[in-house]
Amino acid sequence: MKKESPKKRKMKRIIKAIWIFNWFNSCGFAELVPVVGSRWDMERFGMIVTGTPRHADVLFIAGYQTPKSIKRAQRIYEQMPEPKVVIALGSCTMTGGMYWDSYNTIKRLDDYLPVTMYIPGCPPRPEAVFEACAKIFKHVEEMS
Amino acid sequence: MRDLESENELLEDISARFDTDGWVQRERRVWVKVSKENLISMCKYLKETGFEHLSAISVTDWLKDGEFELTYHLWSYERKTLLTIKTRIDRENPIAPSVSPIWSRNAQVHEREMHEMFGVEFEGNDDLAPLFLEDWQGPPPFRKDFDWREYARKEYYNKDNEREAVYYE
Repeated sequence: MKKESPKKRKMKRIIKAIWIFNWFNSCGFAELVPVVGSRWDMERFGMIVTGTPRHADVLFIAGYQTPKSIKRAQRIYEQMPEPKVVIALGSCTMTGGMYWDSYNTIKRLDDYLPVTMYIPGCPPRPEAVFEACAKIFKHVEEMS
Repeated sequence: MRDLESENELLEDISARFDTDGWVQRERRVWVKVSKENLISMCKYLKETGFEHLSAISVTDWLKDGEFELTYHLWSYERKTLLTIKTRIDRENPIAPSVSPIWSRNAQVHEREMHEMFGVEFEGNDDLAPLFLEDWQGPPPFRKDFDWREYARKEYYNKDNEREAVYYE
């Protein structure tokens, strides 16, 4: 068996369950409510929503951000411990979505934060959210 | 439907005291138009006679008339009546007297928002700092002559970028 690198061993130890910090604007939370509810129930995969970014592995950003809220989002990102992942939900975070011509929304989130993954959709399907989280585990698994 | 006795009585009382143009819309709903000069004395009187709840202040931009229309929605718990006051101010020189001495912090924050969105100056309001827009350099965005699409194009997009050229079509 190939010897695992120290980084991989560390990552395997840390990433056992995904703890989430939510930063949502507008309809953002409506997008994730089905994932929390009993039908898709994210807690069976160990995904829980934390009360503070200092406990979180993953930052979910959903919905459009404004020039005001993006500053708070950046501060939240800085408070999270390494390794950290930013997952952006919905078309608003990618292009501004239906708010592409608004004077007061951020159009592309990765101009402001290092986004790891975008989940497309308006809103994204709950399955897509799970697939994104599965990719985090897969990434650790495939690390050398 | 009950008769509009209480509403008519209120309207008559107001028109007897101030130079107004008002009508009873339906039960528990009265509209009054008043000049900018009479606004404060009228608001003071109404506050004393039971209209202690200022629900909202809104501004309408009448671009063709060159005027802003300020709308104050007042509720009286005694009369159970919603009274709407409308007053017009000049669009080029949008100065209105503040009602924050009358309805205090409640009016203050509404006026602050209207100042930010329409650029209306409320004389007597002690804090008109920006409320929602941070680092905003453009004109007040709710004005009818503000072209938000043009502003967004200039601020966020590049015409020469192949993927963003579609926003200029």
